[in-house]
Amino acid sequence: MKYAPLLLLVTVAVLIALPWLVSGSMLNAAVQMLISALFAMAFGLLCGQAGMLSFGHAAYFGVGAFAAVHAMNAFGGEGLLPTPLLPLVGGASGLVSGLLAGYFSTKRTGVYFAMITLALAELLHALAPHLKTVFGGEAGVSSFRMPAWGIGFGSLNDVYFLTLVWTLVSIGLLYLFSKTPLGRLALGLRENAHRLRFLGYNTHALGTLIFAISAMFAGIAGALQSMNIEAANYVVLESHISTAVVLNSFIGGVRVFLGPAIGGAVMTFFGHVSSDLTRVWLLYQGIIFVLVMMFLPRGIVGELVERIRNPSGEGLARTISTLLARLASLAIAAFGAVFLIEFLQRVLSPEYRAGVTEGNWPDIALFSYDWAPLSVLPWAFGLGLFGFGIALVIMVNRRVAARKEAQA
Amino acid sequence: MGFQKFARGTAAMALVLGAATAAQAEPLKIALVETLSGPQASTGLLYRDAVKYQLSKINEAGGFGGAPIELLEFDNQGGPVGAADRVRAAISEGADIILQGSSSAVAGQVTEDVRKYNLRNAGNEVLYVNLGGEAMELTGAKCHYYHFRTTPNAAIRVNTIMDGMQEAGVLGERIYAMNQNYSWGIDVQDNTVEAAGRLGVEVVETTLHDVNKIQDFSPYVQRIQAADADTVITGNWSNDLLLLMKATSGAGLDVRFGTAFLDQPGNIGNAGAVAEGHFLSTTFNPEVNPEESAVFMEDYKAFTGHYPSYVEPTAVFGMMLLGEALKSVEPTEDGLNAADLAVALENARVETPMGPVYIRAEDHQIVQSMIVQEVSRDAKYKSDDTEFGFVPIKVIAAEDAEQPVQDSCKMKRPG
Repeated sequence: MKYAPLLLLVTVAVLIALPWLVSGSMLNAAVQMLISALFAMAFGLLCGQAGMLSFGHAAYFGVGAFAAVHAMNAFGGEGLLPTPLLPLVGGASGLVSGLLAGYFSTKRTGVYFAMITLALAELLHALAPHLKTVFGGEAGVSSFRMPAWGIGFGSLNDVYFLTLVWTLVSIGLLYLFSKTPLGRLALGLRENAHRLRFLGYNTHALGTLIFAISAMFAGIAGALQSMNIEAANYVVLESHISTAVVLNSFIGGVRVFLGPAIGGAVMTFFGHVSSDLTRVWLLYQGIIFVLVMMFLPRGIVGELVERIRNPSGEGLARTISTLLARLASLAIAAFGAVFLIEFLQRVLSPEYRAGVTEGNWPDIALFSYDWAPLSVLPWAFGLGLFGFGIALVIMVNRRVAARKEAQA
Repeated sequence: MGFQKFARGTAAMALVLGAATAAQAEPLKIALVETLSGPQASTGLLYRDAVKYQLSKINEAGGFGGAPIELLEFDNQGGPVGAADRVRAAISEGADIILQGSSSAVAGQVTEDVRKYNLRNAGNEVLYVNLGGEAMELTGAKCHYYHFRTTPNAAIRVNTIMDGMQEAGVLGERIYAMNQNYSWGIDVQDNTVEAAGRLGVEVVETTLHDVNKIQDFSPYVQRIQAADADTVITGNWSNDLLLLMKATSGAGLDVRFGTAFLDQPGNIGNAGAVAEGHFLSTTFNPEVNPEESAVFMEDYKAFTGHYPSYVEPTAVFGMMLLGEALKSVEPTEDGLNAADLAVALENARVETPMGPVYIRAEDHQIVQSMIVQEVSRDAKYKSDDTEFGFVPIKVIAAEDAEQPVQDSCKMKRPG
């Protein structure tokens, strides 16, 4: 891993140069990606490092979001809390709410812990619509980013850099935290809480503290989001936000340090791009999650790190060629599957069925060709590609297995 | 098929015409930022159908500045965060008008985003046509010059249904206000109490209950029974409406419901005979002005595959108004000037099959006639393939349906 610092420097340089490299829409996606990366990192601290699976992290994200939007309105971006420092409010409110919630929830572990976090989040979610002065009712609380420190904060670029700085600093702090004795104890809590208690540590206080720190960073992420969209609405407390962060973190790999961040960024980007391309992007998202959990249980980044740490002993060239062969065959299978799903979706869509009359099924345009739904061609094409891709994957796997056996 | 061919032909012709004049004007881009995927997509897709339908009419009539109008579709993923993101994307792709309808939470975000964008980009404004967000504050505390609401709101819904039921002699003396405990339900409740005072009937009890969480409404039905109510006025939608009506019918209670969203697809199919005799106030009924309505119904069905229902007629009427306003705007060198369109929208007036429709300049709320209707077996057009449909009881003319401008609306007009 001696290239890690270099890789990190390149990534940061690319992130800084991003506004000059991509379009406005993509920069917009980048802001969202950074926010969900930070949120996933906050979750990763709790779930990956300390082994506490929270199903209610949207609560702390939401608390941060509302705190920031109210602070934005109260201070007008001046005085004690100029615009760039507003995420501090989100962090502070996240920390306080995390201390309270953590005190109760970390009294239990495992499933019971998850249930308590879920219950606390639902409590807030159910309460929010009733408190119109705090949560603003159905139309939400809105605000306006005011100029501060000579920066306008009107343009997307300013927002991007604000988000970037806060995200990088927060992730850096999380990294440093993981190196402190307290951060090391978090791992102990995950691996064997009983032994930790025998050693004389107060595991409840420890759990509460880690919970609160995780909630603090979730609050910062929430604050960044409400600064980005200049509003907060109680739908941010909905349970699907909590679920999304769990899925994202596990797809990225919850036990490796940057895994959740990359998972969050990748899945946000996926949603950004695919939701305008297809109506069934949620299905694809679900399929990706299932496949990652089935075949890469360590997550995408986790698997990558594992491969680099424990090379297969086949030499670099061979490993890369096997990897490429697998990716290529998977791409073929994926294309076949996507084709089938998209075609089926178009055939079943109400607009298409509106155009169908007695025995007359108009052609469907897909991937710049017209396909007749009653002919066997499109179905055979999709199924054939899918089957071919899967067959290729199996073949590659068999070869690798045969080689390993020959070596053994 | 005839209509489709015709539509295709005109579309092709419009394209040719558009290509010829492309050198003069950029085509106008309209962005639909709607919920197109996920659990709330069904309503979003209805808005999409309605917008596409009426936009095809506008383009058949020549589009804008001689070029067909382009529709950009964006999926707001069901929430304000996605909507904020898509509004930015829409503006950066050159959209001058944003359309949205299926949620007041999203509407609240979009209207604020548009307001702030316009503040920061004076001279280059965009305009938001709110096809369906009914929360009062959108034309109240959150009202601004570039927001136009083309759907009724809580005040209009409640006042028209109570007026209509009163005139039909079915309102009774004792009213029960049963609503969901969030801003919409509270708006409906407040307006019910006010309207009851005006009509000289008594609100015997008001109840606010949890939103979409209650499975068993029988305790609430007992309270209706104990209050000896004649009519229940409710803003409930979806399950909260269905389960409430079913529980009431199950208890053998003889009360009428005055509702705002009974026509949501699936409601009548699900409730069946339970819905019979309940009332609804909305912007359209095909049995009013039957000749023109029938043409609209059939034309819409030919285009989308189903009769217009629920939010679709309202959205189509809103789009008609937008089309009318666009007719009187001259394109400038960089396309549409939103400030000109805003003025044109304030002055536009169209005749829909239900009567005249126009925007009120004070708060940009649409003024249109409302049709109070009853669920009945005698309806000409049935809902959800059941034997029930809606028969009009009373048409409330636009000027009578109009409700006062809210004091909280402080609209800053340019200049």
